[in-house]
Amino acid sequence: MSPRMKIIYVDDESMNVQLFQLIFKARYEVVTGSSGAEALDLLEKHPDTQVVISDMKMPGMNGLEFIARAKQKYSDKKYYLLTGFEIGPEIQAAIESGLILNCFQKPFNLKEIEDCINK
Amino acid sequence: MKRIKFEYKITLAYLLVGSFWIIFSDKILSLFVEDTSITQAQTFKGWFYVTVTALLFYFFIKKHLTKLREAEKILANHKRMLETTVREKTHDLEFANKMLNATNQLVNSRNKELKTSLENLRKTQQQLIQAEKMASLGVLTAGVAHEINNPLNYIMGAYVGLQRNYETDSFAENKEQVAFFLDALKTGIERSTSIVQGLNKFNHNSDSFDEECNLHEIIDNCLRILQYQLRPEIKLNKSFYKKDILIKGNTGGLHQVFTNVLINAIQAISAQGSISITTRKSRGKALVEIADTGLGINPEHIKRITEPFFTTKNPGQGTGLGLSIAYTIIKEHKAEMDFQSELGKGTTVTISLPLK
Repeated sequence: MSPRMKIIYVDDESMNVQLFQLIFKARYEVVTGSSGAEALDLLEKHPDTQVVISDMKMPGMNGLEFIARAKQKYSDKKYYLLTGFEIGPEIQAAIESGLILNCFQKPFNLKEIEDCINK
Repeated sequence: MKRIKFEYKITLAYLLVGSFWIIFSDKILSLFVEDTSITQAQTFKGWFYVTVTALLFYFFIKKHLTKLREAEKILANHKRMLETTVREKTHDLEFANKMLNATNQLVNSRNKELKTSLENLRKTQQQLIQAEKMASLGVLTAGVAHEINNPLNYIMGAYVGLQRNYETDSFAENKEQVAFFLDALKTGIERSTSIVQGLNKFNHNSDSFDEECNLHEIIDNCLRILQYQLRPEIKLNKSFYKKDILIKGNTGGLHQVFTNVLINAIQAISAQGSISITTRKSRGKALVEIADTGLGINPEHIKRITEPFFTTKNPGQGTGLGLSIAYTIIKEHKAEMDFQSELGKGTTVTISLPLK
């Protein structure tokens, strides 16, 4: 069996980060950060990352701004949003342009996320 | 049959009586007198007399009667004219009456129409106020969904984690983890509960201005609902009076006032900026100052900002009713709302409410 998939998860709420870590570490290797800037550092440190999942509303950069910057440098990774917002025009445009592969909504659906990133 | 006129009748009667008299008196006289020449002369004299007097009678009576007849004719004519006049006047009167009735009906129907329009206007006004409330809430619902989805995410995470522990029967080995999941569960429930409670305050429909209102609680409620609109670039400074400020008022109304003023402050800041909220007590008044470092208001507009439908916002961003309704609610509280603004520097809204 191949080594476990590495995921970077970014969210400014620590409760969300800790829960994500605890839930997903059973099947994936999870690295977490609390802002876009921090996540860019994590990408630098973990070049073997395959999947990046980000919150939308964060101080500094929002999720899409972070992903747009990350994708320029690390275009080989799969990017997703996980947000409490409805999928508005801004997010819809990001999906259509291929910036993100999908947008998951909070409260998260474990099966949906796993099915999607395992594809 | 044509009636024989009176003068003919009387003349004819006189002639008949005279003739009979002459004939009978001749017969009777001829019994006593032998000399017929005298009686013949007398007879002729009698005929002559009767004829002449009959003619005189005829002309005299005829003349008299003609006058009478003319008078009668004039009288009849007058009577006819009078009747015509009366008929005409009656007709006119009836017509006037009909017109009056029609006018009355028209006035009544106009009155009814006016009443209906007034009712419609009132209904529309209420609908507009409700629409503005919903529009404010519409601005809010996206934020509310976000604010509730996050604690729901905690609960979902806790559920998934606890389920795994349950399936593997590993609660005892993972005590620390289980404690964390339980804590996440509790935090999630508490946060969603407080958001729903805050929302209920918004929708609090009551006409009473005698409710106990905690100003800090109300402002915090509004801020929580507006949380998602408060971009990270907007710094929020709260400087609240050291103790709770309680006033008598309408909870739902005051929520609407502060939400509208805060939405304006947020929308006025295009990039970086700050919103400062200060509360204090002064001379029997509770003062709430909401100052933003946004675009400011054009001096030409400042007098009009509480007018219904006055807005400089883009379509969809505002109805132009927010401040107008906020102002009405403020007046209903016998309170005051004052605007100080400088273009490019920002706006300060000061609300002063009477302390109970």
